[in-house]
Amino acid sequence: MELLLARLFDGVSSGATYAVIAVALVLIYKATTLINFAQGELCMIGSFIAYAFAVDVGLPVIPAVILAMVMTALLAAGIERTLIRPFDPSNHLPLVIITLGLLLLINSVAGMIWGYDPRRFPGVFPDGTVFEWGVARLRWYTVGTLITTIVLLVLLSLLLNRTKVGLAFRAVSSNLESAALSGVPIGRTLQFGWALAAAVGTIAGVLFVSDPFRQIEPTFAARVLIFASAAAVLGGLDSLWGALVGGLVIGMVESMLIGYLTFIPSQMGLASAVGVLIIVLLIRPNGLFGSRRVERV
Amino acid sequence: MVQASRQHRIYQTLGWLLLALVVLLLPFWVISTQSIQIGGNTFTLSLGNVMHSLSYVVAVLGLGLLVGFNGQLSLGNSFFIGVGAYISATLVVDNGWGFLRSLIVVLPVTFALGVLFGIPALRIRGLYLALVTLGLAAVFPAIVRLEGLSERTGGANGKRIPDGFAAPEGVPLQEFRQGLSNIPGIGEQFFADGRLGTRAADEVWTYFVLILLTAIAIWMVKNLIHSRPGRAIIAVRDNETGAAVNGVNLPMTKTLTFGYSAALGGLAGTMYAMAIGFVAPDVFGVNLAIFLIVGLVVGGLGTLSGAVIGGFVIVFVPVWTSQVKELPGVSERVLSGPTATAVLGILLIVLTFVMPGGIVYGLRRLRARLITIVPRGMSPAAAAAAGPAAVPVDEAAAVAMMDRHSGHASSDLQPETETGSVSVTTKQGSADGN
Repeated sequence: MELLLARLFDGVSSGATYAVIAVALVLIYKATTLINFAQGELCMIGSFIAYAFAVDVGLPVIPAVILAMVMTALLAAGIERTLIRPFDPSNHLPLVIITLGLLLLINSVAGMIWGYDPRRFPGVFPDGTVFEWGVARLRWYTVGTLITTIVLLVLLSLLLNRTKVGLAFRAVSSNLESAALSGVPIGRTLQFGWALAAAVGTIAGVLFVSDPFRQIEPTFAARVLIFASAAAVLGGLDSLWGALVGGLVIGMVESMLIGYLTFIPSQMGLASAVGVLIIVLLIRPNGLFGSRRVERV
Repeated sequence: MVQASRQHRIYQTLGWLLLALVVLLLPFWVISTQSIQIGGNTFTLSLGNVMHSLSYVVAVLGLGLLVGFNGQLSLGNSFFIGVGAYISATLVVDNGWGFLRSLIVVLPVTFALGVLFGIPALRIRGLYLALVTLGLAAVFPAIVRLEGLSERTGGANGKRIPDGFAAPEGVPLQEFRQGLSNIPGIGEQFFADGRLGTRAADEVWTYFVLILLTAIAIWMVKNLIHSRPGRAIIAVRDNETGAAVNGVNLPMTKTLTFGYSAALGGLAGTMYAMAIGFVAPDVFGVNLAIFLIVGLVVGGLGTLSGAVIGGFVIVFVPVWTSQVKELPGVSERVLSGPTATAVLGILLIVLTFVMPGGIVYGLRRLRARLITIVPRGMSPAAAAAAGPAAVPVDEAAAVAMMDRHSGHASSDLQPETETGSVSVTTKQGSADGN
């Protein structure tokens, strides 16, 4: 029982971070029906910028994260304007290739600036536990991550449902041509989507690396991207709250599978995420909460 | 120049002879010329890198069959390369098989794995397929490290294959090289040292075996593409509905293409093991998967010769960029970092913008400026109207896949070409895919 609880807590804490990155993927997908393969790298570079502000400049952690969010949002807006917008949004292949190119580029730039030595990220949440019961320890990190994720989702829902920018965003995501005909500035709205996703991604990256058991290094992004996309697909690629559920489920599956099926070594956590991804796409391609896609053969 | 005229044939024959000469002389030149000096930087040339490239040529070829000709975006071909490389490595080291004999196992296994993954790919398409296959690529290193398997795979340490290919007795590699170095003028400069050690001789022999395998792979894919099943593969890419209406069995075509692509990946893996003599789990991860896409896009989507360019680019660009030690205006700190990945990333982005058809397409346009090859029976006036834009239709569709503005590859092909000339090129049909 204690062990179950311990694994539950583990699952929740990693699941919540996957959820936040999944939210970033969902934002881009909603806006452009594109999966941004560079999203993991944007999370990574965001958390490194936060690290630089917090450790090298010496700012307190929260302002450092906010500054990093602004910077990555500007970066993503620039990327959208220069590299994404010139392409026809309905032709996915070149766009995917561009995001793969960005993946390589951003990853190596981070490697040039910060190197590949793992570093300790200054924690956002206090160390220690909320309560302990044998081996089951609910850490402040877990609670903090979950609360941050939920608050973030509430804020995003408000932004998308209650503001004019959000209305434009939803209009573009539901029908690009009609939105354009109604006078919605398509380009700027999509740019806003990219910037928002990058800012959210920064939070996700920071949450991921501020776990005292993890360290920050440029290679964490690719791994996280797979988990997060499994979460996003499970939740339905265009559902924000679905991303939360998906992230939590993926986190649970990972910790439970590795915990209980002892013949599965811990590196296979990634395989569990890929397995979930394949099963969901085969059985229920719209995910748990996604809106139906009409497909013609 | 009229297509298949005497003049055209002479040009083609000369081109092939030149290629054969380069292929024949390359290893001897590379062995004599260890490195090239440009500025303060030394760029090494090694036969190992050339052989490494050859294995990636076949890998890119396999990926190109799936992505460029069938339109299924897969990022997971590194998985099959890894499987091929590891099967060969264990069979050669633990069971004492030869590399070529191990292909008997590698090809069916990777083909079957490909078909197995191709079946879910019928329902999982486009971006989702890219995502799932990327996951597959990411999982491979973990599978190799599994405790149950690591006894055979060598786990995280990788597996060394001590005995490579030995040059058989009686092949006059020595004498050939001796002869080359005696050529007046050129011999002294390019093939200076006439001696060829046993190790070097074995390497040269392995190179020729790899060349043969590469040539067979390219020839087979070329034949496939120009056959009836090949046209079905291309038709599925250009317009699935249209292909189905015309009697193409979509599920069969798509899964089989996945299988062929995977088997080529397996062959590439065996070639990798032959070339490098060492397999390690992290070689066959996400990075290789993305590098293969780089190779494909750089060479040219929907072309066969693009794979040759792509395979060499993804080996030599990283090797050479990491050897750049000084570059005006760039600090040493940056140059000692992962410049190779950055260069490949930039290459990918820039080419997608300026040359979406890849280097091959760029070269063809260049050639079209110099010589116009006109299909037989076409009037000079029509040829002039078609001009340099006269590209075979199925290639134009491949380029359109990457086009910035057209969403549907099959719709408005070549808007600037007159309808008349398009129909002529269509009738000519068989694109020369090499």
